[in-house]
Amino acid sequence: MHILKSRGKKRTLQQEKVGTKKSVQKIKKTGSNPRTRRGKWISAGYLFPSAAGVLLFFVLPFMIVIYYSVVDNPISHQFVFLDNFVMVFQNAAFQQAAKNTLTFSAAAVPLAVVLSLLLAMMLESKIPFKSQFRTFFLSPMMVPIASVVLIWQVLFHYNGMMNEILAFFHADKVDWLNSSYAQVVIIILFLWKNLGYNMILFMSALSSIPKDIIEVAVLESASSFQIFWRIKLRYMSSTILFVTIMSLINSFKVFREIYLLKGEYPYDTMYMLQHFMNNTFSRLDYQKMSAAAIMMAIVMVVIIGILFLTENHFGKDVEG
Amino acid sequence: MKRNRKIILAAVLFGILLTALAGCKKSSGGNQEGEGGVKEGSVYVPEYAQLDLTCDYMDSSAVSGDTLYISASIWNEDTGNSSVVYRYDLIGNKAQKLYELGENENVYGMVTNEDGSLTMVCGSDDYVYDENWEVISGGFKMTVYKISSEDGTVIEEKEITELFPDSEYIYIQRVCGDAQGNLYLSDGNSTIYVLDKNNQLLCEINTGDQWINSMASSKEGDVYACVDGKLKKIDLAGKKIGEAAQNIEVGWGDTLYTGLNSSFFVNSNNQVYVLDLAAGTKETLFNWLDVDVNADDVQYVGELSDGRIWAITRAYKEEGGADYELIYLTKKDRSEVTVKDEIIFGTMWMDSDIRKRIIDFNKSNDQYRIVVREYGADDYETGLIQFGADLTTANCPDVINLSQVDFAQYASKGVLEDLYPYMEKSGIKKEEYLENILKAYEVDGSLYGIMPVFYINSIAAKTSLVGEDNGWTLTEMLDLVDEVDPPYVMMYDSRNTMLWYCVYQDIDEFIDWESGECFFNGEEFARALEFAARFPDDEDVDYSERESVETLLHENKVLLMQTTLSSVQEYQMMKGMFGEEITYVGFPNKEEKGNLIVPASGSFGISSKSQYKDGAWEFMKTLIEEEYQDSLVQQHGSWGFPIRIESLEKQFEQDMTPEYDEDEEGNQIERPKTTWGYNDFTIEIMAATQEEVDAVKALIASADKISGNTDQQIINIITEETEPFFKGQKSAADVANIIQNRVQIYVNENR
Repeated sequence: MHILKSRGKKRTLQQEKVGTKKSVQKIKKTGSNPRTRRGKWISAGYLFPSAAGVLLFFVLPFMIVIYYSVVDNPISHQFVFLDNFVMVFQNAAFQQAAKNTLTFSAAAVPLAVVLSLLLAMMLESKIPFKSQFRTFFLSPMMVPIASVVLIWQVLFHYNGMMNEILAFFHADKVDWLNSSYAQVVIIILFLWKNLGYNMILFMSALSSIPKDIIEVAVLESASSFQIFWRIKLRYMSSTILFVTIMSLINSFKVFREIYLLKGEYPYDTMYMLQHFMNNTFSRLDYQKMSAAAIMMAIVMVVIIGILFLTENHFGKDVEG
Repeated sequence: MKRNRKIILAAVLFGILLTALAGCKKSSGGNQEGEGGVKEGSVYVPEYAQLDLTCDYMDSSAVSGDTLYISASIWNEDTGNSSVVYRYDLIGNKAQKLYELGENENVYGMVTNEDGSLTMVCGSDDYVYDENWEVISGGFKMTVYKISSEDGTVIEEKEITELFPDSEYIYIQRVCGDAQGNLYLSDGNSTIYVLDKNNQLLCEINTGDQWINSMASSKEGDVYACVDGKLKKIDLAGKKIGEAAQNIEVGWGDTLYTGLNSSFFVNSNNQVYVLDLAAGTKETLFNWLDVDVNADDVQYVGELSDGRIWAITRAYKEEGGADYELIYLTKKDRSEVTVKDEIIFGTMWMDSDIRKRIIDFNKSNDQYRIVVREYGADDYETGLIQFGADLTTANCPDVINLSQVDFAQYASKGVLEDLYPYMEKSGIKKEEYLENILKAYEVDGSLYGIMPVFYINSIAAKTSLVGEDNGWTLTEMLDLVDEVDPPYVMMYDSRNTMLWYCVYQDIDEFIDWESGECFFNGEEFARALEFAARFPDDEDVDYSERESVETLLHENKVLLMQTTLSSVQEYQMMKGMFGEEITYVGFPNKEEKGNLIVPASGSFGISSKSQYKDGAWEFMKTLIEEEYQDSLVQQHGSWGFPIRIESLEKQFEQDMTPEYDEDEEGNQIERPKTTWGYNDFTIEIMAATQEEVDAVKALIASADKISGNTDQQIINIITEETEPFFKGQKSAADVANIIQNRVQIYVNENR
């Protein structure tokens, strides 16, 4: 009796399923099911706030920047096409800023990725005081930037601690923030500030690598280097890409620290692209600023595009 | 269909964007509450009436309903001062003579009593002075009169001089009464004397170092004082000034009047507001400028029972004396008032002379009305940022005061109109104006600003030391200092001041903006740094220990004097102070052009975005036309030189015209035109000689740059980097190299 009932129910369900399939086919034919239409409106309603936000805060400002980059100034709005780009490209301050930004990023980003990866590897191995080390490397993230700058000033001021140490060894004083050493100081500051965050990302990536694959590799007598190079690195390729992009973005943000250290016009080795843009903005040279911003955006897109291609190349045979 | 929906959705999103951006539209100026103090939809409209009495000045006043009691004085050279108390019907604009005061008697203050009588506190003296103004004989007397407010009959008279036994002379600044009939007398030494109904001294309240700016009785009958920018009740029981009224803020210069419908009716520097103490509220009624009244001229103000507001103004006449006027302000709906096109006048600060011109323009022009937007009125720094931001947006004022902004920067951005075509259209020839002064606001042959009046900022020295040329280089200056080696190079010669004179006043000495080259790493700048390092830091120098500048000059203890020059008479005074021929040699400059132009009352440009460019020009035109420029001549150059050549020549002519007195024998004896002074030094100014006028003309002709146009960024860099040098931590060359490096970026960026 019970079995029969169940069978009857089963049959009914099958019939329902068939009925639903027919309805779906019907909808596909007509394309005007009121429920589906309502669903679309509801989803559009949910999407609307974020779509409007993106339009208002990203798309529209970018359009305005493009517009400003092709007019002579924000008052007369005379169309000048690429003149602003040519003018900015030929500007000695812009060239200096681009060179410094490029040099800084080229040095700081690989260092930030490699060093944090090394730290993550170290902390993943069985060493004592792991937790304390992790906290130590993360602590710069918790310090407000103004305090960081204050510490750096104490360290690298002409009468600061570093020069005291040099004096102890009878070496000449170095004007760290007003010489070619300035960029070294900023790179150290950048690494100090960013290594901890990158390290946590790498540690998380390392912990998500399937253990069975590594165990198989160990059984197959693979060396530690082979395991790192052939397995871990490949599994972490998307994280490396993310960390690299984040570090690259952060390297452009180092202006904030430099600004707090030396104001709008630092020593030329510390003068970054964002200095150029901020200063031109405050001087109402919107057209210069916009042209510089677009050039910088293009370079960023190219670099990030290359990074994506690289990640695709190295991580293509890894699941996930 | 699907595509259409996407298009519709995109259009909706775009519409939302536009709606959001609509908030950025240009504000309508003074129409909203808070701006101009006029409520939305209502406005105070002025009516002007001739005051029904003649006097040279008014002393004290008291108000009872629609009646004003006022003491007015007339000065007569033969009979001296005579004062009369009037009963003034404010509704009917009718004065009635009430009481005539005795010889040399003045009313310090008066209050109306509940019984309709009037109490006056009067002071008089019969001092006899010798030729040095030392008292030979006589005494001082203070009396309280109670008179009938109907016919002036003296009801009661009591001398209260004995209440002030220790004072040889006492001046009562303010008088008011409370609900109990007590009389409060405030003197200039922070003491309030309280007398009871019988004029017996109840108590003395000393306010210590708190300055009483105003004192009045509230509508509720308590006496309050404006003390150090706070409203404080006089605590009679505690014989002290009480705590500040909660939630009520008053200005430092506000004047309190007893309110008709609220606790107090207050005249502030530029507006009128009412205070309700019970509710703790403050309501702004209007801004004086919005009702075409010059706040500087307002003497008395109050409310009438019919809701109108009255004010008595006093405007000084150029030929001496003053004009009094009675103004009625009636609150009307905005729709009842003729609407004019509003021209926004943007400025950081309001010059009193320009304010007068704006009021005159608003009164006389049927089409346009100028509305002032004073950015620096509350917080100067914030205001300056807002001003800069507005200049490049749709919120840009129509007329811009360029004194506090880098006009060249805004001109290059297209913010400013070229004014030459407007001058031409109005038939104003630029040849009629000082070429170098106009050129100071020129960029590539276009004129972006006009200053109606100017003076010169310079360094003066004895001609015997610096020669006759109106200019020198930094090297020449430093060489002279080394050669003469005076005790003081300048009267105010701190390290930063010297750096300012040698470097900042003419930064172009070290920057070639054409080629983008900087020369801070050269010998000249290092020498300027080493020169500045000879002087003490600002904090270490105490100028009060020095003798006066005139003594130092006479004794050849000071070599140079930084000064401004606004008239021939000032030149004559400086010559007298130096004791010999002087040369305005200017600030050191490689082209030997270190005399700088300073706009005296501001410099003005027109926004290229303005809807009312013609209206803006109509106002600006009045500042350079003959009428206004000639009016500056009447001021004997007190404020500066007019830019119109003919007016300037008139001023020179007036300076050279001698004035004579006749002696007993009928001979014409030249008398001093006026007296000028500098600290303790005074000099009688006689008619100027042709040589003196020529020297001033040459000085004016030598100036072609605006003073104080050095970019703050460069100053910041130099100030920051020179500090280690002045502290002896770095060499001049090291510091100069760093400055060169940092300023070079600034220069490159700006090219």
